[in-house]
Amino acid sequence: MSASVLVPTVVSPIVVSLYVPAIFTGLIVGLIGLMAIAYQKDDLNALILTDIVGMGMLILVAAVGTDLAEALILPGLVVELAEILAISEILMSREMRKKGETAELIPLPTSMDMEVMTTAPTFLAIILIVYGAFLSGFTGGAVAGGGILFYIISRRMRGVPSDTWEGIAGVSGIAWCLWLVGFLVFFVFPQYWLLALFLAAFGVFIKVAFKAGLIGVIGREEFNKK
Amino acid sequence: MLNIYIWFYTGVVLAILGSIGTAIGPGVKDPLVRALNTEIAAVGVSLIFLTYNHTIALVTYIAATTIITMILLRAIVRLEEVGAEL
Repeated sequence: MSASVLVPTVVSPIVVSLYVPAIFTGLIVGLIGLMAIAYQKDDLNALILTDIVGMGMLILVAAVGTDLAEALILPGLVVELAEILAISEILMSREMRKKGETAELIPLPTSMDMEVMTTAPTFLAIILIVYGAFLSGFTGGAVAGGGILFYIISRRMRGVPSDTWEGIAGVSGIAWCLWLVGFLVFFVFPQYWLLALFLAAFGVFIKVAFKAGLIGVIGREEFNKK
Repeated sequence: MLNIYIWFYTGVVLAILGSIGTAIGPGVKDPLVRALNTEIAAVGVSLIFLTYNHTIALVTYIAATTIITMILLRAIVRLEEVGAEL
């Protein structure tokens, strides 16, 4: 198989030599996952197998090499995460409606009544959010989102202020618009590239950080049910 | 010195074996076992990312795998508590 079709010179020869085996690995893994899903009758098992199909997709994308692959893997990961989260929620709510009984929102084998959960959350969350803001972009958003999530999980023990989620979801949407505007400025006014860069970086930062708002909205709906 | 192909092909073998194990491995009727078997394939994918020097992708992937495992375990436990036949 000739991989010499249109390979830019920036691609290292090792990546080119690994292209065909990586593509075939991705295809094999994806096929195994899809075949297993086809033979599966149970919904939950099929959901777990979609994870395998996602891995096949990631290997295929990684085979491209260079920064392009990195830029394509990150949204792929986020989409896979959101998909599994959404489908698992649908499965759970459907079973609960069928059986007519509810389970705990976050089932834990032990009581999370630890010292660190009552004294540290504010401090740790602030450190993580400040460090995330310093990093900015996708990674910073993930770090800050981890801080927010930790705060929410530890505060859940005392009851979540469920009205604030509406606001967080709104801010998340506005940040997404910032990112879009930044992207547009790149093309329309290339001389303002620094402004565009910062708009995009901090838009994505706020957007990813407030992905936690999604979990919060689910939580609010669970609390409204009572 | 260690050839970088070692990492790549270890990753390939782990990814394929892990996905076969998730599909038809022993005891996969139990969704808990199936969810844990995906971790093997995840390690394989991580090694492939490592070969390609995809640092940010690797770091994010490790975080995402952890979160996906947590989501799946939560779904399994909640469904079992409700009493769904798995």
